[in-house]
Amino acid sequence: MQPQKALTRNTKADFVMELVQTVSGLLLVGFLWTHMLFVGSILLGVEAFDALAQFMEQYRLLDVAVVFIILTVAAHIGAVFRRIPGRLQEQKIVWKHARTIKHSDTWSWLFQAVTGSAMLVLIIIHVFTVVYAGIDSKMSADRVNSWMLWFYLVFLLLAEYHASVGIYRALIKWGFLKRHSLKRVLSVVTVCTIALGCVSLWIFYWLGDTA
Amino acid sequence: MGLRQLTFHIFRYNPEIPNVNPAIKDYILQEEMGMTLFIALNKIREEQDSSLKYDFVCRAGICGSCGMLINGKPTLACRTLTKDLPADISLIPLPVFKLLGDLSVDTGTWFRDISLRTESWVHTEKDFDPHSPEDRMSNDTALKIYEAERCIECGCCISGCATANIKPDFIGAAGVNRVARFMVDPRDERDEQEYFDVVGSEDGIFGCVGLMACADTCPIGIPLQGQLAYVRRKMAIAGWRR
Amino acid sequence: MSRYDSFTSDVLIVGAGLAGERAAIEAATQGLHVILLSLVPPRRSHSSAAQGGMQASLGNSAMGKGDSPDVHFADTVKGSDWGCDQDVARLFANTAPIAVRQMAYWGVPFNRVVAGSRMYDGNEILDEPDKEGLIAARNFGGTAKWRTCYTADGTGHTLLYTMDSVVIKLGITVHDRTEVLSLIHDGERCSGVVARCLRTGKLKVYTAKTSVMATGGYGRVYGASTNAIINEGSGLFVALETGVVPLGNMEAVQFHPTGIVPSWILITEGARGDGGYLLDKNLHRFMPDYEPKKKELASRDVVSRRIIQHIRSGNGVESPYGQHVWLDIRHLGAEHINTNLREIANISRNFTGIDPVDNLIPVRPTQHYSMGGIRTNIDGMAYGLEGLFALGEAACWDMHGFNRLGGNSLAETIVAGTIIGGKIANYAKEATLRFNSRQIEEHVRVQEDRIDALIHGRNGNENVYELRRAMETTLSENVGIFRSEAPLQHAVDELHELHQRSLRVGLRSGGQGADPELAAALRITGMLRLAYCTAAGALARTESRGSHYREDYPKRDDENWLKRTLAYWPAGADRMELKYEPVNITELPPGDRGYGEASAGGASANR
Repeated sequence: MQPQKALTRNTKADFVMELVQTVSGLLLVGFLWTHMLFVGSILLGVEAFDALAQFMEQYRLLDVAVVFIILTVAAHIGAVFRRIPGRLQEQKIVWKHARTIKHSDTWSWLFQAVTGSAMLVLIIIHVFTVVYAGIDSKMSADRVNSWMLWFYLVFLLLAEYHASVGIYRALIKWGFLKRHSLKRVLSVVTVCTIALGCVSLWIFYWLGDTA
Repeated sequence: MGLRQLTFHIFRYNPEIPNVNPAIKDYILQEEMGMTLFIALNKIREEQDSSLKYDFVCRAGICGSCGMLINGKPTLACRTLTKDLPADISLIPLPVFKLLGDLSVDTGTWFRDISLRTESWVHTEKDFDPHSPEDRMSNDTALKIYEAERCIECGCCISGCATANIKPDFIGAAGVNRVARFMVDPRDERDEQEYFDVVGSEDGIFGCVGLMACADTCPIGIPLQGQLAYVRRKMAIAGWRR
Repeated sequence: MSRYDSFTSDVLIVGAGLAGERAAIEAATQGLHVILLSLVPPRRSHSSAAQGGMQASLGNSAMGKGDSPDVHFADTVKGSDWGCDQDVARLFANTAPIAVRQMAYWGVPFNRVVAGSRMYDGNEILDEPDKEGLIAARNFGGTAKWRTCYTADGTGHTLLYTMDSVVIKLGITVHDRTEVLSLIHDGERCSGVVARCLRTGKLKVYTAKTSVMATGGYGRVYGASTNAIINEGSGLFVALETGVVPLGNMEAVQFHPTGIVPSWILITEGARGDGGYLLDKNLHRFMPDYEPKKKELASRDVVSRRIIQHIRSGNGVESPYGQHVWLDIRHLGAEHINTNLREIANISRNFTGIDPVDNLIPVRPTQHYSMGGIRTNIDGMAYGLEGLFALGEAACWDMHGFNRLGGNSLAETIVAGTIIGGKIANYAKEATLRFNSRQIEEHVRVQEDRIDALIHGRNGNENVYELRRAMETTLSENVGIFRSEAPLQHAVDELHELHQRSLRVGLRSGGQGADPELAAALRITGMLRLAYCTAAGALARTESRGSHYREDYPKRDDENWLKRTLAYWPAGADRMELKYEPVNITELPPGDRGYGEASAGGASANR
């Protein structure tokens, strides 16, 4: 061991980082799926959606959610940042590597990193919009029925992909499940949540159009 | 199946002649019945280019010398049959390891270093008594140790791993599996904290991001996903208690 | 920049397989500075390919009950067809159990006894609960008891990895990818070696108080061999080239009954030991017809001959690679095959596309082991040169005589490593480092000159690969399982011719750095000398003993041939000279082996 490493030795640091990454990731996936269910309440009607939104505002759950998401995302970014190849040569190596060995789980990791980075921007915009404007079916409908529709569509796809690959990787790393069956289950869940999101968006778009 | 004319695209570089850049050179060879890459490369060396470097030892898939990227996939050349490959075959030396020339890389030095860093030997305070019978062990335990001990240190899992490709200190699946071998061995008296000192870091098990290329490329089929997960769980418990 | 790098140590061991590493451990733990040289990283040594197991009379398994070093000794002597040195065989049999236990202590995951009953070849075997968890043994050819300790079918692999882990733990210096070119000597003492780095091509000089050859066998002179391609006998021919060190019993070459067709990779004896059958083209199990008692598990020389005999009588299976027989392990069941015989199942699947769970494996006897080697005394000291030792397959310590039992070679590497390692250490402690620089310079210059001549084609431009093929064919066709005068004489003439041509090799590659063609060219003359000694020794020995079977002299002839062949190659000569020495018989006088041709044809005819 080199002196500078001996002087700053913290043998637990890497483990804690790993733990933070995994736990924050799992929490974010849980949050995402709950969030999609809540958005999906629009399928039950405008009243249902607004009632839920009102309930959230009333008990300050929205604020809790916002604080939670900011902290968890920050922790997640902090933890996964060390994973992303920083130097240009490293970037070149990993992309060339993935092209050479043609291995799907290696490709999915690269996409995971790309979608994650892109989402950082999208999450900031999304959280800012919600905090600034609050939640209300009419406002949502107006937003969706505009250029923002593309924002939501892209966001939906990226978030679901990132979550799906992330939870897959976390679970196989800890070895709780078989890879192939896990992949199948997660694919189904992801397709369902994306479908739910798309239907919700379509309803909002339609609502925005009729208003 | 008819025998084809094969074209080999082989990476050539001699570090002793550094002013000649690495290049891919093509060799054309007539396929034969039951031809392996061991046979094919020997033919190329003996008939076309006698300076071509590569490593074979046992040529039976047990010594781990002949790992290379065969059409991009890290695997053992000796037991790859040409009939399982397209007529165009690309051969590139394994990444991560030091290049000794053409298809030959220095896996030996890399693995020796890993053995030293992970202290891959049985740690025991007991002395050997030549006059008493051996300590007992259940056959299941013996088989479990052997499952991990089967690793032939060919380096395919290391070359297939993107993390190992960019992090020179990462011990990779082979290194973690080596540690797992001693963890299940009752003769090794190291406790979990001592193992944590060896692999409980970013260079050890927590450097693994779960790409699973190791498990998908291991030519002898060691269940690396399970081995990595086993060590990760053990080390998580050790880290938690620390 | 100097022309070569120099290294000095107390003990220099050439070859980092099991024998070399075990000896290195012994010397290093006695406080000596040891350097190990190896052609390849130590864990890639051919020891790792040994599948079946190592013999030691622990007597833990039910079928090993009542086993003892005495029984092991007797099996070894009978196996050798009374060609072995009985003091060595005795020492070996007595030490083997300790060697196995020490390997287990160091970490080898030997299979263990599981109490309970199971069926084997129609009989019930009951392992007792009081043996549960002790080291188990499997059945091997030519043994009275089940004595072969094993780790599934990767015994050599686990032994070597464990041994190397101890080498690493002790911090023993290993220079891998280094090939020995010659011994530095003055005709009386060996003071080191000249070697070549296979990374850079640079010459290296190693001086040491003791030099040890543990380079393994030389099966590659046959081409079709189960041996790894590094088994080219470099330790043997550099010793032979001194002119004063003899090679013992070079005509004693073992053919393993079951090399897989056509890649000649080994299918372990464990496959038959665990209950596999040999079948002919009519799927008839033919071994019981010839060997009613031991069936598939007579000694290897006998089973190999019986297979060829059966093929010759028209029962072989035709194939593009010549006739063969079948190995049948299907009845052992998928679970047994996929655990205890997993490596051979993989080999079968990968190299022939045959899954032995459902199909028959094509096999034929294939060159496998050399009983001959650098002749040493019981302490491992080579004849002829002070300060030179040899052990393992490279040596003719002579516990194998004219046929080695399966499982005895792995055991030999470790037992000899322990015992001879101790002797080496004792010798090195007493010795002083003696060499003079003029001597070293001269040895280096000889090698530089050879290399220069090869690169510039000064002596001619013979093609090294063509010579090799010719040597392989000559040996395989004329010095095989069944031998007789005319083919042997032909081989001797042919090999002499090839030897002379090998002095005129020229390179086509330019020979820069670690050029592989240059490495091959530097070996070819030495390999041809080994081939020549093998053929000439076989021609001279007009009897049949163990693996050396002369069709024109089918009987063992104890009156005239109870002696060991010593082949010398006088410096500068173009052929070798044969001498003989008596075989040391202390406990067990020559008699009937209990299997093989002599026993089958009238039981005690040979007694």
